[in-house]
Amino acid sequence: MFRLLRPLVVLSLLVGTVACGPGAPSAVPPVKLTVGLGYIPSVQFAQFYRAQQQGYYAQAGLDVAFQHEIDPNLITLLGQGAVDIGMADGTSVIPAAGQGIPVRYIATVYARFPSVVMAAADSGISSPADLDGRSLGIPGRFGSSWIMLQALLASAGLSPDDLEIRLYPDFGQAVGLQQGQVDAATGFRNNEPVQLDLAGFDVTVLDVDAITPLPGPGLTIGESTLAAKRDAVRAFVAATLRAMDEINADPEAGLDDAITSVPELGNDRATQLAILEATIEMWRSPYTGTHGLGAIDRDAWSRSLEFMRGLPDSNIPSSLAVDRLVAEELLP
Amino acid sequence: MTNLKRLTNALLPIVAAAVVFLAGWKALVVIANYPDWFLPAPEVVAQRFARAWLDGTMWRHASATLVEIGLGFVVGAGLAVGVGYLLARSRLAERLLSPYIVAAQATPVLVLAPLLVFWLGTGLLPKVVICALIVFFPVAVATMVGIRSVDARLLELGQALRATRSQVVRHLELPAALPQILGGMRVGVTLAVIGAIVGEWAGADRGLGVLINLARGSLFDIPLMFATLATIAGIALLLYLVVVLVERALVGAWR
Repeated sequence: MFRLLRPLVVLSLLVGTVACGPGAPSAVPPVKLTVGLGYIPSVQFAQFYRAQQQGYYAQAGLDVAFQHEIDPNLITLLGQGAVDIGMADGTSVIPAAGQGIPVRYIATVYARFPSVVMAAADSGISSPADLDGRSLGIPGRFGSSWIMLQALLASAGLSPDDLEIRLYPDFGQAVGLQQGQVDAATGFRNNEPVQLDLAGFDVTVLDVDAITPLPGPGLTIGESTLAAKRDAVRAFVAATLRAMDEINADPEAGLDDAITSVPELGNDRATQLAILEATIEMWRSPYTGTHGLGAIDRDAWSRSLEFMRGLPDSNIPSSLAVDRLVAEELLP
Repeated sequence: MTNLKRLTNALLPIVAAAVVFLAGWKALVVIANYPDWFLPAPEVVAQRFARAWLDGTMWRHASATLVEIGLGFVVGAGLAVGVGYLLARSRLAERLLSPYIVAAQATPVLVLAPLLVFWLGTGLLPKVVICALIVFFPVAVATMVGIRSVDARLLELGQALRATRSQVVRHLELPAALPQILGGMRVGVTLAVIGAIVGEWAGADRGLGVLINLARGSLFDIPLMFATLATIAGIALLLYLVVVLVERALVGAWR
């Protein structure tokens, strides 16, 4: 749609420029950036809310507007240039770039892969091999949790066919686990395990980081935005990473800013703080510990690319290289 | 006029419209220089369509959707004919049921689908129920209108000949109402296709709705998404033609 409207936008800008004439004020207006976050507002986006609330974006000459989109929509909107920057899964960037969608991952936010497998602590499941023959709840056979599950099982010489997969398209698999409908379930480390723990349900968490370091959600942009707004995007990345550093040091401050932006989050402060603290844990890894928050681990991307290329039904071309997927020059 | 000429005259406008549509689509892609991930050219979609059918991908999903459509249509249309007859012949039934049938029809199936999957699981049953629900209304209304429009003199003739209730229904009312009932089924069968896709979006392992989501959200394979849309349109067209042929055969036979 954006491409269809582009000639009209250009025409209106030209008309606007002529209409303003030489007498127009010379102050540089802020650069508008549309930022796509996840499907719904959440404390997991506290760094963006903080940078907005504390004026870091405004100080950098940016006029930032948030927009909530599901990941597949976001990737194509970024490719079109209809959204400037987005929080997109690294595991979506790889197949999208493989199909020619011009997007680049420019800063890591989740240095550890957030999608995990959870099991009741007393289920006898403590490693991927223990999942053999057990039932597992998952929203669907797609997306980051499906990729994570295949990586996890492959490490034990298993495949999803060795499990009884039960679909929870309403994302109710954690409730299914709690009610004993399934032996294990997928979830996001900074969400379901935290909520189950707060509800007094002890879980064992199996993560994929030590097996295949899949790229988690991070800042992603379209190549047209990279060309047209490079300095503004660089300023946005710096302001966001500054907010991440501050929240890393003081999660309560991040929660306050999140509640200011999304007042509904204040209804259960204790739960939201627990989710935020678990989210901050996801920002940290040995790699970001050495190179700083936001750093992109090229070796991990390379291994993930190889893994995803080998998955059944993979459509990732052999010519796709990490250079085509990431762009580190916008990091401070 | 020979049969060949008739067929040529009938097909010519259809083929001409298809050619104009494809030429316009191709021209748009070339002039705007759209990449495949934004709007693939017709020949790119055709190649992907052929590949998906040849490697078995499309059939694996299409067969699941066809089963859902078939069962949903049979259940929905079967119930609708019975209820439509009741509405036509019983004022009490009409007063009791009509508001609820209209309210059910006005409830978006997109809202009902996740609830049905929640209650009935992610198997075949919720898809069949969704298809049946969506098929029900047009067929029930068409049956009611058809039965009510049966010539009263025919019914008087039946009574004069001392026909039983069952004979009146089978030999007078249903044959006379058949054109309207099958008209409702023509609409219903295309709606059943939509019902199956919506049901699959709410939760499924296989089906053309699942393939659209995979192509769009996991594989970012937009030509495959278009090829799946073409398959869905083809299925709807085929099923519509089947109902038309059945209509011609049955209505012709009874008349």
